[in-house]
Amino acid sequence: MPPTGATTYVREGKPAPRNGLVPDPAQSTVIPFFSQAATFDRLWPLIHSYLDEMMDRGKYSHGNQVAAFEAELGAWTGARYVVGVNSGTDALVLLLRSCGLTPGAEVVVPAFSFIASASSVVLAGGRPVFADVDPGTYAIDAQAASAAVTSQTQVIMPVHLFSQMADMQALGELASARQLILVEDSAEAVGMRWHGTHAGVLGAGGVLSFFPSKILGAIGDAGAILTNDREIARTAGALRHHGRFGKTLDNFPLISNPTKLPGFNSKMDDIQAAVLRAKLSCLDKDIARRQELARAYSERLDMMPEVIRTPGTEHRGPSEMVFYVYLIEVERRDRLASYLAHRGIGTEVYYPTPLHLQPCFAYLGYRKGEFPCAETACARSLALPLYPDLSLGDVERVCDAIRDFFRGSRR
Amino acid sequence: MIPFFPPDLFESDRQALVDIVYSVGTGREQRFILGHYTEQLEGALSKWLGGTQVVACSSGTAGLGLILRAIGIGAGDEVIVPAFGCAPLASAVVNVGARPVFADVDPRTLVLDPDEVEALITPRTRALMPAHVFSVMADMPKMREIAELHRLRLVEDSAVAQGAALDGHPAGRWGDAGVFSFVQVKTFGTAGEGGAVVTDDPDLASRIRMLRNHGQDPDHRFVHHEVGYNSRFDEVLAAFQLHRLPGLENRLERRAKIAEYYRARFCPLEDRGIIAPPPGRNGRFYYVYSLIAQQREGLKRHLGRCGVASHVYYPMPLPYQPAFETLHSSGQTWPNAEHASRCTLAIPVYPHLSDGQVERIADAVCSFRQGRR
Repeated sequence: MPPTGATTYVREGKPAPRNGLVPDPAQSTVIPFFSQAATFDRLWPLIHSYLDEMMDRGKYSHGNQVAAFEAELGAWTGARYVVGVNSGTDALVLLLRSCGLTPGAEVVVPAFSFIASASSVVLAGGRPVFADVDPGTYAIDAQAASAAVTSQTQVIMPVHLFSQMADMQALGELASARQLILVEDSAEAVGMRWHGTHAGVLGAGGVLSFFPSKILGAIGDAGAILTNDREIARTAGALRHHGRFGKTLDNFPLISNPTKLPGFNSKMDDIQAAVLRAKLSCLDKDIARRQELARAYSERLDMMPEVIRTPGTEHRGPSEMVFYVYLIEVERRDRLASYLAHRGIGTEVYYPTPLHLQPCFAYLGYRKGEFPCAETACARSLALPLYPDLSLGDVERVCDAIRDFFRGSRR
Repeated sequence: MIPFFPPDLFESDRQALVDIVYSVGTGREQRFILGHYTEQLEGALSKWLGGTQVVACSSGTAGLGLILRAIGIGAGDEVIVPAFGCAPLASAVVNVGARPVFADVDPRTLVLDPDEVEALITPRTRALMPAHVFSVMADMPKMREIAELHRLRLVEDSAVAQGAALDGHPAGRWGDAGVFSFVQVKTFGTAGEGGAVVTDDPDLASRIRMLRNHGQDPDHRFVHHEVGYNSRFDEVLAAFQLHRLPGLENRLERRAKIAEYYRARFCPLEDRGIIAPPPGRNGRFYYVYSLIAQQREGLKRHLGRCGVASHVYYPMPLPYQPAFETLHSSGQTWPNAEHASRCTLAIPVYPHLSDGQVERIADAVCSFRQGRR
């Protein structure tokens, strides 16, 4: 399945053609897949004051803004320890290493996710083992996960995608029954809670990604590890700074501390931390706004029979829905994406290829057809614009365009 | 106190930085990572280096890892690295599954000793990774010769050596690939973390471009050919580096001038147990001005009393670091690296030191009297 290449903003070189279509110049306004420009502008006085704090201190990474952000994020999530790092991917690698993953050990992950959910396992020295997902949550199916456990399995790592969490009750039971370490790839799960406990601290630890389009987004790469385990936090804190223990954060001279572990440079930039601190101040409002926009989408799209699935918006079980991505499933997804691009509406395909069919995992020997739910999701899913800067009128325009597409195709 | 790590590195660029953050944050494109600024920065650096491939990445450390992966270093391989230097020299090798083999350094220049390197080559050796240290480039012509003779890859840890050239050939371009680090204290430091890989090999550059962005196909998003990293470059920092690049030559020149002054003042101290770094411009870059002092701790205290902060970069040779001590046989020793770890002391050399401050620092060093040994 080739990706649609609808709207991207992390890509090397020239933008790929949008399936041969360019936005119709007659469309006066464009609805990008993502923008935070208005939010950023509104928060600018606060961001500027944090930048001043950073510049007065004169430390531009691993400095006072990172320290303050870690504390504030800890208070907001309830995680006892927050370790700020360079990206969500690095956070996963450092977390797996900090949990004591032994070389060659197996980590059970879902077949449907962003690449980092499995590449982090390889980078931490382990071997990913895939399991199919629950088509209702897009998260790893607990029974499939259980079937994937072998004598070599050390960790099980569910991923919370888009708007709801994996079944942490069942996965927690599986982990304790089989004596596995439970780690959460909660990169997308800012604000998601299971019976009130924030994603990432239900097992040994979890991560957050602050990739710009995330619910809590920086204006560059950044991520964090969340954990309630002191030792994991200490180890991850050292691994991000060349394996050096001690108070390296906001403290220059400790760059001479002994290297106790073969570590990385995964320090977070203070510019990013300054932006994140400002955005954290309105995160509750942003999440509520996303919920409101999602409800507006569902009201309209639930009426269209061609839309096979919308995420719904209602509280279903112990995990409140928190909308990072508004994902629908349709047949002829790529045609719809092209049509919307033509109407000036950006969309994204999360994710066009399941992990077990990625070329980089060919060595694991999986075949097409092994994980039907993951493969179906990859073939049908389309993410619509969803971010606090979006207006209800924009949502209406997107829904009208989708309706027009299906009307046109019915004729 | 004259600080060793000055907090006012970017004082004259404060407004520029604030403006860049605002314009990227509110920009119409909403592009934040590996965008046009990054591309422009890569192009500008390439031009500055006389035309080569430049791949911006998240740090110098990450750059070393990307190179090692891209040239195929992995389990069972050995990479010869200096015993005296920064942790990434060894951890980058360990983190791709290979084994660092530590070679001793020259006692004066503190860079890899070519004879030590040759003695450590085994059938498992796949690459040499010399590093430029403080203000001195490694003996790259000799390293190249050894690499060619033994058919080894040559990775140049030029993280600290932006702007240096040896015999007219720039640092970073002597091996299969080299790296630069842009962490704030470096000569081309930035307002955050960043780095770049430099290589004359376009295929290697393409592979590194892919590896820095999750092994992703350059044209098809979410198609991943290799298990890659997230080691990308942020637009805010790329724009800031473009803003700072035109002043770089002057800042490098100012560092070299300060070093010249220090050299003239410190030459007579050799009899009193303080050795200044080797002089000159060829193969030099003056990122860190590090003395070799027989009574280092005494000198450090003395400087502190005179209001001059100093810094010990590598108080322990790499093979003795807890992370790496199990990677070599206990019989091996590195006397020069040990001596360097005991005796080197870096004093401030950053370009915005005033002439008066530079004199004060030199006076402080010159007024040190060794105690009886």
